[in-house]
Amino acid sequence: MIRHVRVLVANRPRLIRELILATIADQPDIEVVGEVKNEADLLPTVEEQRPDFLIVALDSPESRPPVCDILLSKFPDMKILAVAPEHNSSVFYWASIDIHSFDVEASEEGLLGVLRGPGRRAGGYQ
Amino acid sequence: MEKDIVGSSIHIFLLSQNRLLLEALTRILRKRAEFEVVQAAPYSSETLSIIAESGCEVLLIDSSVTELYGFQLIQDVVDAIPGLKVLMIGMDEDETVFLRAISCGAAGFVLKDASAMDVVAAIRTITRDEAICPPRLCLSLFRYVASTRTSLPNVRVKSQLGLTRRQQQLVPLIAQGLTNKEIASQLNLSEQTVKNHVHRMLQKVGADDRLSVVEMVKVNQIFL
Repeated sequence: MIRHVRVLVANRPRLIRELILATIADQPDIEVVGEVKNEADLLPTVEEQRPDFLIVALDSPESRPPVCDILLSKFPDMKILAVAPEHNSSVFYWASIDIHSFDVEASEEGLLGVLRGPGRRAGGYQ
Repeated sequence: MEKDIVGSSIHIFLLSQNRLLLEALTRILRKRAEFEVVQAAPYSSETLSIIAESGCEVLLIDSSVTELYGFQLIQDVVDAIPGLKVLMIGMDEDETVFLRAISCGAAGFVLKDASAMDVVAAIRTITRDEAICPPRLCLSLFRYVASTRTSLPNVRVKSQLGLTRRQQQLVPLIAQGLTNKEIASQLNLSEQTVKNHVHRMLQKVGADDRLSVVEMVKVNQIFL
């Protein structure tokens, strides 16, 4: 049996979060393990759920959301997808010694591609 | 709820620069038999004609479009397509954006901190010939209307009826039933000057007699 990708959805604003949740809910191989509405709940929820992926808001496409540094140092196996609420922009972050990133197409295909992508296999990203 | 689905679904056109928003909103709306998404696309120079040809009853537009291309499109589609309802999704609680959207003819306004269900409910609301917006922005609208009302006699009467300040000054005096002679003495003018003013006022507003001028000014003041 294929193990589901476990995703925690924590991005803002609410409408974008719900649209992403609706997209993921339709995928049989991806499981939503939680929805975080307030940033204060983020760390405890990640600690409790230990998701494979965390989806957060990308407020500024030029800079990495500060939460990435804190969470990736504490949970180096987790991967983070930051989605801009207003523009076509999303970035994928993961850690191995350092934090790496690459731009993802801000579409359902781009988003689902990252969640299902080679990140599920050890050492998949270069 | 029993509903005749065939032929009664609401045709929706989605317009946004955000591809994920277009795709995910389409996904949610298509699950409801009452809605049919006729097209989901970003803005292009052909957008107005594409919307017109799509036969949609509702245009759902978000602030990513107005930020880049302005609000004129809302006015253009509302003018060009009779009966079309525009629902705008705004990013922030920005009353300038809200007031511009509704002044261009949007019938509904929701924010991105709304739920997906709120968007669905807003689409239903505007197709029932009702308006919808967040309560706090509704307050901005009330305040705006109130501020327009107080500045009204000078600005509006002048722009709408084309009366000069002196002529506006005559209106309340005419309304009191004063004669030209009485008005002249109150304003330190000659009777002939007052007569000339009244004559020009009648011509300007197309009134038959002096009291009609007063009535027309009153009507203009009530309707903004």
